[in-house]
Amino acid sequence: MGDDRHLLIGRANGHLFRREDKSESYVVIPPAHLITDSDGGMWTFGFKYDGYGEINVLRNDMDTGEFAARIEYRRGQVRIYGKAGWRVFSRSRRHFI
Amino acid sequence: MAGGYSLAAGGITLANQAVTLVFVNPIASPNLDLEFRRFWINQSNNMASVNLRYQINTQVTAFPTLVSQTPAKLAIADAASIITGNTTGAAGTCGINASAEGAGTKTIIWADSFNTTNGALLVLTPEEIIEMAAGAASGLGLHLPVAPGTLTNWAFGCTWTEG
Repeated sequence: MGDDRHLLIGRANGHLFRREDKSESYVVIPPAHLITDSDGGMWTFGFKYDGYGEINVLRNDMDTGEFAARIEYRRGQVRIYGKAGWRVFSRSRRHFI
Repeated sequence: MAGGYSLAAGGITLANQAVTLVFVNPIASPNLDLEFRRFWINQSNNMASVNLRYQINTQVTAFPTLVSQTPAKLAIADAASIITGNTTGAAGTCGINASAEGAGTKTIIWADSFNTTNGALLVLTPEEIIEMAAGAASGLGLHLPVAPGTLTNWAFGCTWTEG
């Protein structure tokens, strides 16, 4: 049997995750493990470090090319914080600005 | 220093009881010590938002009865872990998803709770890294002290370095 069409489905750490809803605002990784965005993108950290204590940021297990100390979901936007300050995932879903 | 290793699992169905999710017991001395860097718990097919407690604790013998699982290397170039998969939780072994907790006393060294839609990720700062020395009398476990409302599709794990 297939999944309901309304489910948000993505991958994190090698596993398929299903959620009814996107994450609440102000969910922060860590201490959360996972943020679900409105497209079903599953955000979490990978296992690479950059030497500043920051960890690589994954969306659906794809490396975004960014390192951060925390990932936050706020008002429908994914934000990351690191040595470059706060950056926001673009509306185009392609990069952080 | 040897490399980094993970003991992780997904899609796991837990017993309807308090359960140790991962358990790693240092090897007999003299050998490498284990430095635990990260722990995580999540549920991959979760539609209910509830809070759940978790603990990181040490446990002396008798150890939990586990499902054997071999640690994975985080870098292909590294040597294999000195820890091997086993069901007994004995020194130098590790496993997941305990079916019996064992009579050994647990000592809580970290306790928190998490929302099951968000999961829990604990990244220890350098000052907080949990070190389990070779020859220690106890192993280290990631533990749910209360059975979760939904028992299926759990994902969890931990990472450590050996040095």
